[in-house]
Amino acid sequence: SGSDGDPSVPAALGRAQVFAAVVDTFLEKLVTAGSYQRFANCYRCFYKLQPEMTRSIYDQFVSQLQTSIKEEIQEVKDEGNLEVLFNSLDKMVEEAKDHKEPAWRPSGIPEEDVRSAMVPYLLKHRSYLRKVLKEKEEENRKVAESVLAGRDRIAELQQLIQARKLAWQ
Amino acid sequence: MSVNPMAYEAQFFGFTPQTCMLRVYIAFQDYLFEMMLVVETVILKKLDGFPGCKISPCQIRKSTEKFLLFMKEHFDKLFSKMEEVLLQLVLNIPENVLLPEDKVHEQYPYTKEEFQALQDEIQQLQQQYRAEASAGQALQAELEEQKAVQAELEKILQWFDGLDNICREHGTSNFKESFAFLTQNSKKLQDVLKDVEEKSKKIKKHDQLL
Repeated sequence: SGSDGDPSVPAALGRAQVFAAVVDTFLEKLVTAGSYQRFANCYRCFYKLQPEMTRSIYDQFVSQLQTSIKEEIQEVKDEGNLEVLFNSLDKMVEEAKDHKEPAWRPSGIPEEDVRSAMVPYLLKHRSYLRKVLKEKEEENRKVAESVLAGRDRIAELQQLIQARKLAWQ
Repeated sequence: MSVNPMAYEAQFFGFTPQTCMLRVYIAFQDYLFEMMLVVETVILKKLDGFPGCKISPCQIRKSTEKFLLFMKEHFDKLFSKMEEVLLQLVLNIPENVLLPEDKVHEQYPYTKEEFQALQDEIQQLQQQYRAEASAGQALQAELEEQKAVQAELEKILQWFDGLDNICREHGTSNFKESFAFLTQNSKKLQDVLKDVEEKSKKIKKHDQLL
């Protein structure tokens, strides 16, 4: 993956590569252990009788075993979408490389954990409420001004009427 | 030996790494046994083609068991090593890594008290808003009332203005004075009438007493 870090650390390779390498190593070592010599030794009597056949049977055994194992691994990778997950996990590890402290982990108590998940919504709600409250206060201030003006006007009209009344008496 | 449940890994991968390893182990083992069985079957079949030979199926079975036992030992050892590497390097999430879906927990690490304070603040804001809203309604209602009252008062004022105009048109500015005179007189009349009524009441009372 071309990271600028230590060449000796196997985790510098992507997880997918490590996975493949580890499985290959396993197979290699298994086949080495189950060598032809060992096989022929176990089936000595048959080997004495039919050496070529023994060899051919052994080769098929090894080949078939390797194929089955590799197929199984591929199935596991496909089912779990592991290729994609490995790459994405590698990326996350790379991005977190400057983050030295242990990261958050679920506490196992849902009530505790759900708190932080709710906070962004609550913060949004709070800022919305602040906004509409301010708007409402402003609106009311304006209407209050109109109401006061209206009261003055009514008082004024009443005075004028009173004056006219007097004039007619 | 403490068992790491690898729950965080399970959250990410959708399976527990140990379960995955177990599944693979069982599958591999099954293949090994299967292959050995095939080998044995093939050998036995080939032996059928050699009617004179002295090799018994029992011997073959013993050979198979020998080889299989040997293979199984190595298989378990090698698989165990492989599992260790995979669980440590591949199927694990390092301690300092946070899954993106859990970002909120790093961004908003609110304690119980801080969270409660936030909820309280929101509740208070809601109450304030409700109060402002009803105050606003009351103000609007008064505004509507004022409009109606103003309209009535303005009508009355217009009526007065109308009267003034009539007077002006008919050149009887005295109309105002004579109207005022009339209202005064009618008031005086009313007062006199009241007086007379009272006096007659008094007289009637006197008559009754006598």
